[in-house]
Amino acid sequence: MAKKNFSNTYIFIYSAVLVVVAALILTVVSVSLKPMQTKNQQAEQKQMILKTIGVEATRDNAAELYAKYITEKTNEKGLPYYSFEARGEGLYRHGGYIIPLNGTGLWGPIWGYLAIDIDASSSVVGAVFDHKGETPGLGGEIATDKFANRFIGKSMDVCPIVLKKNASKDFPYSKYEVDAISGGTMTSNGVSAMLEKAFNDYSDLVEWLMI
Amino acid sequence: MKNIELIKLPFSKNNPILVQVLGVCSCLAVTAQLKPAVVMALSVIVVVALANLIISLLRNTIPPRIRIIVQLVVVSTLVVLVDQVLKAYVYDVSKQLSVFVGLIITNCIVMGRLEAFAMSNPPLPSLLDGIGNGLGYSVVLVTLGFVRELLGSGTLWGYPVMERLGLYHIGYENNGLMIMPPMALILVGIIIWIHRTRNKDICEK
Repeated sequence: MAKKNFSNTYIFIYSAVLVVVAALILTVVSVSLKPMQTKNQQAEQKQMILKTIGVEATRDNAAELYAKYITEKTNEKGLPYYSFEARGEGLYRHGGYIIPLNGTGLWGPIWGYLAIDIDASSSVVGAVFDHKGETPGLGGEIATDKFANRFIGKSMDVCPIVLKKNASKDFPYSKYEVDAISGGTMTSNGVSAMLEKAFNDYSDLVEWLMI
Repeated sequence: MKNIELIKLPFSKNNPILVQVLGVCSCLAVTAQLKPAVVMALSVIVVVALANLIISLLRNTIPPRIRIIVQLVVVSTLVVLVDQVLKAYVYDVSKQLSVFVGLIITNCIVMGRLEAFAMSNPPLPSLLDGIGNGLGYSVVLVTLGFVRELLGSGTLWGYPVMERLGLYHIGYENNGLMIMPPMALILVGIIIWIHRTRNKDICEK
């Protein structure tokens, strides 16, 4: 390395120029790639929504299948939700609605969708969750099918679903309790809070059986 | 040193993972499957090679007192570029790699090569040194990804190899431990062992 003496002025100007050049390059790239990234994110969101009603879509056909099965709506409070038509014999025979969930986990945002039967039982027919940066193997498990499938058959009719250690197996509590993730308590609490918020936000959609 | 040596040495005798034992963190984290391992390897090759080239071009203008900061700015810029490109073109893989692309910035191989080589060598050898070290890192990553995906999930690049071979019918089971990071560490250990057995001259006395 050349043993040159650099003045403070040189160092300041050098760093300033370097940072400005780096910022310029990043801005140009970010702006020019933005449309493609947004398209990917939207396709992913559609894939997630379709997954709650048992439709496996790829990134390419997500938009097409989405248009076929899903209708976008807003509820009384002006919040967005989605509805799906009856399809086939199994879980999705009545059709229903899909409500978006948004909340915070331990490290960052968590989100998901809950598909609910339009029938009087208001039972959950499908769920899907994802996260930005929960701990892999612990809180990150909410993104797995194994976790999401625990919600099928649960209900949001009179109270929100809550995540618990050793969820009750006795009716009627078993309808509203889901096993939490071991080692992922903070994330599980986040999911519970997110479900409670959705329960309040979308109360007008739910069949109030108790009244 | 001959230019060809710059590419050849990091492959074996001076391998960044096996001999310098750098960049092990990402190597354990992204090798449960072959595809993320390959994408990570390519990203690191691009970043190390370009960072080496740029720093080497700038080396006489960089004030020594802020050289680490300058290196970091260059590396971070390159890594963010790679991350943006991955998000746009291979979104699924970029989700899988998640934080690890960002962590290339702190990958010791990158900073190590900049400090040890690019700061004191001309652009062409620096570029080759970067490519060489990137490749050396890649060889280990891809080997691990290959073994771990094949034995852990029974697939290669998502293709169900073991199922097609009909091994499940005769009682074969996937080894779940292969998918866990500890197994990657054990595998790296085994590779280092084989490597040292074959190259006695790099063993410490």
